[in-house]
Amino acid sequence: MDYPLWIPGIGAGVLIGLVAIAHVLVSHFAVGGGIVMAVVETLAVRRQDQAMRNLAKRTSLILILVSTVFGAISGVGIWVTIGLLHPVATSALIHSYVWGWATEWVFFILEVATALAYYATWDKVRPRTHLLLIWLYAFAAFMSLVIIQGIISFMLTPGNWLESKAFVDGFFNPTYVPGLVLRTGICVFLAGAYMAFAALREQDQAARVRLVRFLAGIQVVGILIAYGGYRWWEAALPESIRALFLGASPKLAALASTRHFLLWMLAAYFLLVLFALLAPKAQRWPVTAVALLLAFAFFGGYERLREGARKPFIIRDYMFSNGVLISEIAKLNQEGILSKARWLMVGQPDEPVAKGRAVFRAQCAMCHTENGYLGIRKLVAGADPETLDLILTTMREEGDTYVSGQYTVNSHVATENLNYPFMPPFVGTEEEKEALKTYLATLTETKVAEVRHGN
Amino acid sequence: MATNLMPALDPAPIPGPVWLFHLLWVVTFLVHMLFVNVVLGGSLLATFAGSSRREVQSFFVNANSWAISFAITFGIAPLLFIQVLYGRLFYTATILVAGSWLGMLGLLMVGYYLNYVAKFRLQKGKGVGISLPLSALCFVLIALIQVMVNLLHLQPSRWEGVWTQAKSALADPTFFPRFLHFLLAALAMAGALAAYVAVRRAKTQGQTAELTDMARLGVKAALYTSVVQLLVGFWLLLALPSPVLSAFMKGGAATTLPLGLGILAGIGLLVVLAGIREPIAEGTKVRRAMEFLVGAVALMIITRHQLREAYLAEWQPLAGAQVVPQWGIFLVFLVTFLVGVGLTVYAMYKAATDKPQVGEPAA
Ligand code: HEC
Repeated sequence: MDYPLWIPGIGAGVLIGLVAIAHVLVSHFAVGGGIVMAVVETLAVRRQDQAMRNLAKRTSLILILVSTVFGAISGVGIWVTIGLLHPVATSALIHSYVWGWATEWVFFILEVATALAYYATWDKVRPRTHLLLIWLYAFAAFMSLVIIQGIISFMLTPGNWLESKAFVDGFFNPTYVPGLVLRTGICVFLAGAYMAFAALREQDQAARVRLVRFLAGIQVVGILIAYGGYRWWEAALPESIRALFLGASPKLAALASTRHFLLWMLAAYFLLVLFALLAPKAQRWPVTAVALLLAFAFFGGYERLREGARKPFIIRDYMFSNGVLISEIAKLNQEGILSKARWLMVGQPDEPVAKGRAVFRAQCAMCHTENGYLGIRKLVAGADPETLDLILTTMREEGDTYVSGQYTVNSHVATENLNYPFMPPFVGTEEEKEALKTYLATLTETKVAEVRHGN
Repeated sequence: MATNLMPALDPAPIPGPVWLFHLLWVVTFLVHMLFVNVVLGGSLLATFAGSSRREVQSFFVNANSWAISFAITFGIAPLLFIQVLYGRLFYTATILVAGSWLGMLGLLMVGYYLNYVAKFRLQKGKGVGISLPLSALCFVLIALIQVMVNLLHLQPSRWEGVWTQAKSALADPTFFPRFLHFLLAALAMAGALAAYVAVRRAKTQGQTAELTDMARLGVKAALYTSVVQLLVGFWLLLALPSPVLSAFMKGGAATTLPLGLGILAGIGLLVVLAGIREPIAEGTKVRRAMEFLVGAVALMIITRHQLREAYLAEWQPLAGAQVVPQWGIFLVFLVTFLVGVGLTVYAMYKAATDKPQVGEPAA
């Protein structure tokens, strides 16, 4: 809000989503891969099983290419992206959790060093040392998940932190442990699903069958852990978040169908894995590929659900996606949003449309593009000034609802009772509201003009 | 410029004493820079060395498959600490050049994968092709973006200009000397490292013509770049805005000592390098050169940090900030750090030394 605003053409949410999806898929694989490869190589050494050893060896190049290169860079990428799009929120997270991140960083060092050394020392060190490297890697990678989960889950369920602002309360929040269990299961099955490809490249038929069955077993374990974790996660959510997508009449149909989707994906994935377990000989790569896609679908669905359940906040019950704090609504209504978003009027003429556009950029552009994702032109197309007024007035009144605490229990806002459960309230002076309305009206006009022109 | 474009201070308190963050910032940044110098200087030097010098190329390509990872990892820590102290300057600077700042990650990823391409090509006995020069180009561009962002976060008075006209992001009288200063240091470091490694290899594996050549090339690269560096360094110093320069000089021994010693280390480096006739036979001198160079880099990083304070003095970036240390979790960090570094060193030591005897099974 205090910062200059940069919104990429595809929309802020889409960019964050793309970077985040790429990163979580890879990073969870990197964690699970460590655990599963450590188990595989341990068994290979114990049982003198050459096929198992080759499986670990074949996967290790991918593991480093993926985890130390793509994982590391996309991890920094998320950081850079949210710093650009949500500087206020990023700053808030840094101030609360910098020591947590610094601790995680130590595990990164161990993770990177052991991954590179593991790959570089095949055939070069005693087996014990090689096992030491992969187990240390698995430990470090898992610990980085243990830490980052504290911060991710905090953003959805900050819990007692809202009152105490204490590190421990924010970190060990209500969905911390359930989410960690869920993610651990996901890590394990993703690694199993990926390594299943490497298993199919084994030439010896008997060995291949053994590997396929073993990895199917790993995936079953992962799926069961993930399913248990998911249910526990749902149960740990505050009632009002659950009301958004659970129960007989969920408030937000889109989220409810996301939930159905991800559970069905998990069930289908489970069936395919059972098939591999029971008929390992019949396993072919297309089945493996479908299984991996289903695994991704479940995971992606969960991430979407978690993000969706957080809207309109970036830190639930504390800071909205556009950086406005619940605690500053009243002040901003009085002093105006542009008193804070000073950057947006730099070089702009002092007239209503320009002001309205600045207000829009300050508060709405974080979610609404002009023509693309959640495009505002489409949403206001055909709206007459009275309708626009009604929408903005309602949005402004919702701010009063937040301030009065009408729907707030234990610092938690039951957003499902609002008219716009997905949108932050409008904040700003009456004049700014009028300016925004004027600006939005220009969007409806051009639309009409374009249509006429087209005819 | 309208002062009021400075974003508000984050209302949350700083979770530890300010000096502690400065300390951790400088120390982790130094480690980051050592790796960055190897990556940037190494990829450039290996490119210039040409395909006839396989020894040099394969050394840097292999070293970089580690060094890039460590450069990234050690970049994370200073990135955290700058945000704690100067987040509002840093975020604003990056947002002003958001496209480049984000693009930097693409360059990093491409540069890294191209280095692997070069590595596998060399392993197969082929030449590096364009993979290595392109990889070096990526790192040069990253350096350019870093210098640009760095100069922007130091000078809030330039923000409005850049916001209304993006091109002016590069328009700073210190931009070019600063960028050059950085490139030359990286090349010198890579040269000294190449010579040092060649000397060590000649000792353990026996001297070869390739190693002799690698050592000579390294010393030459370090020497020539350091001569130019001395001039560029003074150019940079004189190009500094005069209030910044005088604030820096008024800092007394605290600021002039690191700079003075850094310049002396640079001169020492030159003297040592100039005195080397046949590097392979003069291992001690090569080693001394390496020590002078690392010393100079360390001192210059302190200077660079102090210069930031001089630039920012008029803005008082921490005025009004509260400090509420989180000692408990800091202790967790400290213990993790000691144990983690210990484990890393132990694991690397084992990986390097625990070779199987003849007839014993290997992993
Ligand atoms: C947190 C993200 C977010 C922010 C910030 C946001 N919106 Fe929305 N908005 C949404 C979503 C999601 C919808 C629902 C879209 C749909 O139904 O297709 C929506 C719908 C709308 C609609 C259509 C409403 C209707 O009744 O049909 C309008 C108009 C609108 N937004 C305007 C705004 C304005 C003006 C602002 C800034 C003051 C704003 N939005 C800020 C997410 C956001």
